[in-house]
Amino acid sequence: MADEILFELLHMEIVGHLQRSSQKDEQDQCIAKLESIGFRIGQSLAERFTRDCSRFKDELDTMKFVCKDFWNTVYKKQIDNLRTNHQGVYVLQDNRFRFLTHISSGKQYMEAAPKYLALPCGMIRGALANLGVNCVVTAEVSTMPACKFQIQIQRG
Amino acid sequence: MTIFDFYIFDRNGTCLCYAEWNRKKQSGISKDEEYKLMYGMLFSIKSFVNRISPTDIKDGFLNFKTSKYMLHFYETPSGLKLIMNTDLGAGSMRDVLHQIYSTIYVEYVVKNPLCELDKPILSELFKSKLDEFIRSLPVFASKVS
Amino acid sequence: MSRQTARAGDPRKVNGELFTLTYGALVAQLLRDYEDDEEVNKQLEKMGYNIGVRLIEDFLARSNTSRCNDFRETSDIISRLGFKMYLGITPVISNWSPAGDEFSLLIENNPLSDFVELPEGHTALNYSNILCGVLKGALEMVQMDVDVWFVQDQLKGDNITEIRLKFIKRLDDAVPAGED
Repeated sequence: MADEILFELLHMEIVGHLQRSSQKDEQDQCIAKLESIGFRIGQSLAERFTRDCSRFKDELDTMKFVCKDFWNTVYKKQIDNLRTNHQGVYVLQDNRFRFLTHISSGKQYMEAAPKYLALPCGMIRGALANLGVNCVVTAEVSTMPACKFQIQIQRG
Repeated sequence: MTIFDFYIFDRNGTCLCYAEWNRKKQSGISKDEEYKLMYGMLFSIKSFVNRISPTDIKDGFLNFKTSKYMLHFYETPSGLKLIMNTDLGAGSMRDVLHQIYSTIYVEYVVKNPLCELDKPILSELFKSKLDEFIRSLPVFASKVS
Repeated sequence: MSRQTARAGDPRKVNGELFTLTYGALVAQLLRDYEDDEEVNKQLEKMGYNIGVRLIEDFLARSNTSRCNDFRETSDIISRLGFKMYLGITPVISNWSPAGDEFSLLIENNPLSDFVELPEGHTALNYSNILCGVLKGALEMVQMDVDVWFVQDQLKGDNITEIRLKFIKRLDDAVPAGED
């Protein structure tokens, strides 16, 4: 079944729709909406994933779940590199991030990249929230289609 | 054997893409005029071929040949037209054109939200994939005599 | 070891759910952004249209089908190839109009509305209206102008989900300037 493309096209069109329906000066709001849609998807997805399984050992174990199972389900590959400073910051690097592979292999269309990363950031945040980890997620691109997601744990 | 050039037209007659490799001689008119002539010729030849056909035909116009070059034509059911000019040794390019459509156009234009489907293709990724693909074809390899 | 596998569940199943959940989150957002159900239906159809004009190219590239000879052939390809390929279901084709220009797709298990309950007070919402847009957009790209709409929906308590398609006219390639 070729359902992967449906998810890709749907995501593309969600971005397109929100962009069309927001004014030029409301781009931040558009990004925020994408993030919150992503949050909801991530939350329910994590719920379905972990319905019948044991809890994670620790924070790192949870991150590994995001890098492997979660990423595999959503993007059909695993995260290429996971780093942490052991103080609540994790950096997930994807060398070929699926939403960017069709767009560019370099700097062209760079200005559009944030729009296509907002929903994925929200999904990570939503999934982690569901697993009991509160965090802020941001994405950074220097050369497409590679992308780094930074997860900053919020404690307290 | 060699490949001279390549065009993609959408069903509105807009030239979405043009690329050339071993084209030694230009038409002497502007590119826009050349595209217009090309689309007009294809449109006429297609309807002529269908009208004159003695039986019902499925694919219609496929290619034509002169003493120096051959023009290959492939049209998708969505009206996208892919055209390639080669020298006479190239043989049928139908599979090659279908492959360009399904593995390059669909992957790097249709799935790229920043490419509007009815506008000339600006994506550098698409252009480089196309170039890479054409240069890797066995028919491309041999030198122009 | 065993925990890894238990955790991931059936990956194939979760894959299907990803699309369903994403669609659900979109509809929820639209219901928040637009007050009127009719407006949400309209937006969903429009988004579907934009997806359809791209999806058809993927479909043609994968299936290598040629242009249909008539609307009956079209109905068959939509159900047996299109729905099957992308949603894993094969809707039943029925209720042909005498003129052969209208038919219905009957869907028993609409994957879009898995684990969905319509929120109260949204009786006019056609939850899966995006499908109408996808079909319209896709068919328009293969030269068919078609109207598509929901007749019945299991989400609203109907026995079956029914989408109706009506053939309007064939669209032709652009004639080059200066030709007849």
